[in-house]
Amino acid sequence: MKKGKKHQQNTGSQVTGNGTVKKQGEHESKKKQKLVEIHRALNSDPVDIETLRRAAVSEGGLVADEIRRKVWPKLLSVNVYNLPPRPGKDVRESHKDYNQVLLDVRRSMRRFPKGMRAEQREVLQEQLTDIILDVLKRNPQLHYYQGYHDIVVTFLLVVGERMAAAMVDTLSNHHLRDFMDPTMDSTKHILNYLMPILEEVDPELHDFMQRAEVGTIFALSWLITWYGHVLSDFRHVLRLYDFFLASHPLMAIYFAAVIVLYREKEVKSCDCDMASVHHLLSQIPQNLPYEELISTAQELFTRYPPVVLAKKAALQPRESITISSFKDFQMATLQQRPDTVLRQQLRDRASSDLAVPEEVAPAGTSQLVKMAVWGISATLGAAALAVAQTALDWAPEFLLQLF
Amino acid sequence: ASLPDRNMSEMESSLELTTSLPGSSLPPLRSRIFKIIVIGDSGVGKTCLTYRFCAGKFPEKTEATIGVDFREKVVEIDGEKIKIQLWDTAGQERFRKSMVQHYYRNVHAVVFVYDVTNASSFQSLPAWIEECKQHSLGVEVPRILVGNKCDLRDAVRVGTDLAQKFADSHSMPLFETSAKNPNDNDHVEAIFMTVAHKLKSQKPLVLSQPLGTESTVQLQQEHKSAWVCGC
Repeated sequence: MKKGKKHQQNTGSQVTGNGTVKKQGEHESKKKQKLVEIHRALNSDPVDIETLRRAAVSEGGLVADEIRRKVWPKLLSVNVYNLPPRPGKDVRESHKDYNQVLLDVRRSMRRFPKGMRAEQREVLQEQLTDIILDVLKRNPQLHYYQGYHDIVVTFLLVVGERMAAAMVDTLSNHHLRDFMDPTMDSTKHILNYLMPILEEVDPELHDFMQRAEVGTIFALSWLITWYGHVLSDFRHVLRLYDFFLASHPLMAIYFAAVIVLYREKEVKSCDCDMASVHHLLSQIPQNLPYEELISTAQELFTRYPPVVLAKKAALQPRESITISSFKDFQMATLQQRPDTVLRQQLRDRASSDLAVPEEVAPAGTSQLVKMAVWGISATLGAAALAVAQTALDWAPEFLLQLF
Repeated sequence: ASLPDRNMSEMESSLELTTSLPGSSLPPLRSRIFKIIVIGDSGVGKTCLTYRFCAGKFPEKTEATIGVDFREKVVEIDGEKIKIQLWDTAGQERFRKSMVQHYYRNVHAVVFVYDVTNASSFQSLPAWIEECKQHSLGVEVPRILVGNKCDLRDAVRVGTDLAQKFADSHSMPLFETSAKNPNDNDHVEAIFMTVAHKLKSQKPLVLSQPLGTESTVQLQQEHKSAWVCGC
C-alpha cells in the first residue's frame, strides 16, 4: 500500500499534521477497505443498502464525489438509468413561485465553487431554477420555501441536472416533505424536538435556554437546508448530506442539538436573553469536529428516539408525512437492482432519448475527469467541465487505485 | 438575506469591542436596548439596509434570509450609549406566518421596507401593516416606511407622491434611500438614528431588559410626515 505525500494532502480533515505515518497508513487502508465494501454493496443484487448507509454515516462519509454519484441515488431509490426527461422551461413564467425562486437562485452565488467563471455559474443557476420549478410542477402538493434552493444546488453540483432533479423529487416527497407544506407549522413541529433532546442530555443548558426564551429559530436554516445555507466549506456540506441521506429524516434536528450541546460553555456564559443567545447560536462555527458530532448525533438518536422524546416532552401530536412515510421509503430502498442490471434493462427498453452513462473504468487522470463528468451528463458543456474540475479538487486520487 | 459568515463575525467582534471598551471606570450599568424589527417583501433589501447601518458598508453578496437574522450596533445619543438591535426577517410569506411571530415580542419600533423599483413590494405594505396589528403592537410603537433602491432612478415604479400619501395615511414618516449608493453614506444611518432618537425621547425610563411591561411609555402622537426626506 502506498502512503505518499500526495495522499496526505488529499485525505482532508481526518488527518492532521500530527498524524504519524503509521496512522496515515491505517487511515488509508481503512478508506480502501470502505471503498471495496461500497463497490461490493453496489454490485450485490439486490443492492446492499445497509452497507451503503453504514458507509455514508461512518467516518469520512462517502469519501468522494464519484462515490456519491453512485451511492446517493441508491440511498434514495433513484434509478439513474430511468431518469425523467430534462426539466423544460415551459412552466417558468406561469408558476406561482417563479419569482421567488428566481430571486433566491440569483442571490445564491456563494453556493458555487470559488473561481468558477460567471458564465459557467449562470448556466448552473439556470438549471437550478429549472430543477426547482420542475419538481414543484410535478408535485403540486409541494410548496417552495426559501432555503430549498440551498439543498437543490448541492445535488446539482454533485450529480448534475437530471439526476439532481430525480433525487430532489424523491427527497422532497420524503425527508423534506414537512418543510414543503403550505404553512411552516410542520417545520415548527420538527424544531420542537430540539429542546427535549437538550433537556435529556443537559438539563441545565436546557433551562438556561428556556429562561433566555431564545426559541429555536436559530436552527431553522440549519434544518431546512440541511446546513447547506450556513456552512461555507462545501466539503462539510457534502459530509453532512452523506449522513442525512442515510439517516432518519429527523437526524438533522438531532445534529442541531448536538451543535448546541457542543457549544454548551459558550451558551451558558453568554447573557441570558433572546438576542444574545440567538446571535451566538445562529453564527455556526466553521471548524466543527464533524465526525465527532455525527457519531454523537447517532448515539443520541438511538438513546432518545423521536417517539420517546415526543412522549416525554409531551410534544403536540401532529401528523408528519415525512415521518409516517419513512418506513415505506426505507422498505423501497431494499428492493433495488445493481446498476449493471438497470443498465441492461435500459438497453432492453432501447430508449434512445436517454443518455446512457458509459462504463466507468478509470485508469488515469484523464479518465478521472471523464468519471467526474459522468454524473453531470454531456449536455452541459462548459459548465460541466467547470464542475468536473471542482470535483477533481475534491476527489482524492487514491480512487485511481480502485475500481 | 444572510451574509458571508466571515464578514459577519468580523463585524460583530468589532462591535463587541466598542461595547466593552468604555466600561472600565463606569459602573456596570447595562446600556439600554432598542429592538427594531425590519419587515417587507422578499428582495427589497432588508438585509442590505441593516448591514449598511451596522457595518457601515453595502454587503457584496447577500443571500435569502432564512428565518430571522440579528445585527446590532451601539450608538451614542446625548451622551448615552444605546444598543440598537435590528431583527432582519425573511420576506417569504410562509416564514412570517409561523416563524417570525416570536420576534415581534417586545419590539420597540418597526421598519417597513419596500423597493421603489418594485410596485408589488409597495402593494404588499397593507398586508405587512395588518400583520403588525395582529401581533398587537401598540400605537405607541413607532413605525417608519423606507423605500429602498432609489439609486436605480430609471427603474423607479413607486413615485414619491404615492408613497408619501400612503405613509401619511398610516401616520408614518417616509424615507427614500439606497443601501447601496455610496453618496448616501449617512442616510441609512440617519434613518435608524431618527428612530433611535424618537425611542429615546419616548421611553425615558425603559430599562435595558427585560422589556415586558412598559408602564412608563409616554404617548406622543407623532406629527405626520415630519421627517420626510428624498434621496
